Amino acid sequence: MPVVALEGITKAYEDKVAVNNLSFSIEPGQMFGLLGPNGSGKTSSIRMMIGITFPDSGNIRLFDQPFTRASLSRVGYLPEERGLYKKMKVLEQLVFMGCLHGLTRAEASARAVTWAKKMEIDGSLNKKTEELSKGMQQKIQFIAALMHDPELIIMDEPFSGLDPVNATLLQDTLLELKAQGKAILFSTHRMDQVEKLCDSIALINRGNLVLGGNLREIKRGYKRDRLVMEFEGDASFLNSTEIAEAKNYSGHAEIRLKDGADAQKLLAEAAAGAKIFRFELVEPSLEEIFIQAVGGKADA
Amino acid sequence: MLKSWRNMGLIARREYLEGVQSKSFRVTTILLPGAFALVFVLVFLSSKYMGTNRHIAVATDSPQLSKEIQGQILADKDADATVDVYQAPGGGLTMGDRAALVEKVAQSAIDGFLWVERGGNGEFHMTYDARSSADFVTNERIEKAANDGILRWQMEQKGSAVTEVDRLMKPVDLETWQVLHGHEQKSNALTAFYSAYGMALLLTMTTMIYGMNTGRSVIQEKTSRIFEVMLATARAEDLLAGKLIGVGAVGLTQIAIWLAAAGILTFSGLVAQVMTGKWQLHIGWEQVVLFVVYFVLGYTLNSALFAGLGATLESEQELQQYAPLAAVPVWLSFGMITIITSDPESKWVLLASLFPPCTPIVMFLRMGSRG
Repeated sequence: MPVVALEGITKAYEDKVAVNNLSFSIEPGQMFGLLGPNGSGKTSSIRMMIGITFPDSGNIRLFDQPFTRASLSRVGYLPEERGLYKKMKVLEQLVFMGCLHGLTRAEASARAVTWAKKMEIDGSLNKKTEELSKGMQQKIQFIAALMHDPELIIMDEPFSGLDPVNATLLQDTLLELKAQGKAILFSTHRMDQVEKLCDSIALINRGNLVLGGNLREIKRGYKRDRLVMEFEGDASFLNSTEIAEAKNYSGHAEIRLKDGADAQKLLAEAAAGAKIFRFELVEPSLEEIFIQAVGGKADA
Repeated sequence: MLKSWRNMGLIARREYLEGVQSKSFRVTTILLPGAFALVFVLVFLSSKYMGTNRHIAVATDSPQLSKEIQGQILADKDADATVDVYQAPGGGLTMGDRAALVEKVAQSAIDGFLWVERGGNGEFHMTYDARSSADFVTNERIEKAANDGILRWQMEQKGSAVTEVDRLMKPVDLETWQVLHGHEQKSNALTAFYSAYGMALLLTMTTMIYGMNTGRSVIQEKTSRIFEVMLATARAEDLLAGKLIGVGAVGLTQIAIWLAAAGILTFSGLVAQVMTGKWQLHIGWEQVVLFVVYFVLGYTLNSALFAGLGATLESEQELQQYAPLAAVPVWLSFGMITIITSDPESKWVLLASLFPPCTPIVMFLRMGSRG
């Protein structure tokens, strides 16, 4: 049973089509990446999923039922920018959000403290939100979205404003939630994060679905013509007739092979003049797949 | 439904706590009545000292008449004027004398001069020449004093004794009584009107300020992502209703503080000493209850208006630009003040009372006008 399903939804603002006939679904325990450049329709799609706006056509189903506001009590939402009351203290803010989702004050307070400890912000619970850094505010926003233990977690650019340490903390928490069976959708234009975390993706550009489905399967559909080499010595092998394109970063080379090229032949050529530490045929990155898919016509 | 009410209550509570804990709440609670008190004191002082300390010359063709007019002007202690009797060098007044007096005014030797002529049929003609023709308080004082002086002089000319003239011209104070619920009772129209006027002003300020606060709050949430988080949690109706109740409760709290402070001051010895006699202040329970009722109604109307504006506008600056339009009913209500005071039951006043944006102010002014 999909936790959320978009069935051919279209949304236009005046003459601009923000989302065009978009369909995908997310299963419990799935980490789903909604990808696309800025202005591609990610936020518009999310807003329709949580009932802020409504599609012009198509259907949205939450928990295998047509969309109703009552279903939103099972959804946690983290917006792209901070959606916090600046003058409120952190604990009050979290309790307020928890209570809005139906928790008692005591319950909300206890959960806020537990989450604050987990996210390493328990020392700031009695500070006003405006006194905290952007990263801290992002963590508060993250906790606010999870206070009521939602089954579907929707996060719009969750890693923005976070330093690498806190980004890792957030990633680990998301993986824990996934292991608990929560369905997680996050939108981002950072393809590397999606590649690392997501099982499935929907890649959209100018409101249209460009690629969608299981990430591994998508990647398997592309040729392994990428080669990463680490070497020391003569780099003249980079002019080999087997290579279509090569970038050499002082002993670290990223190579694209020609169609039908023989990688073993290239390895022999390289080994003749250089000491090889690494020679790996890799699948194309999501970013490369995206560029191929949109033909370099992204809006961003 | 229950969840909806619960969310509305939570949102109202949050708005209320944020409102009453804010610096602006503390500042306006103290400063707003202070500002009003200052305005009233300034108005009182300016009216008290308006048209005072004038140096005036009186020119007539009769020294006795000039002295009578001089006496009448000097008798007005509030005027605190200096009055010279102009002695024409040639006995009778000539255009040369007038030119000499004009020259004195031009050189600021005197503030103005009263020129009284008698026609062939015995009728008087008066002119008052001064540097400022808009000094209506002085003009009014001189006109009254000159008329009284001429009347006294004429009575004396007809053979009345000075004591008899004094007795006849002794002013009689007018007491105002009000017929309320079929019974007459002594009323102090001036203080009743000023207290109602003050309450109408306070009502205007609070309903406008808190109405605008609602609009501002809508814009703030709309321009940040709080609005998205809230809409993913609560219904838009609950969000707006909670906001209206919360911000309105902040206004009611402020009014409750003012009323409590006013009550304490009214019963304190300090104010009792100051507000005696014709300045004795009476605010009835009826006015207190109606003040709260009209605040709730006025605030609801204004906040609905500003919330609607907030929903369509993009910034607080834009909202600010619309504020003068929303203030039109306020100007209209205060613009009707002379009609309301002269006839609080007139057709136009009744119509204005029934026009919701004007109702709170017009009704308070009507209450004040009825004493």
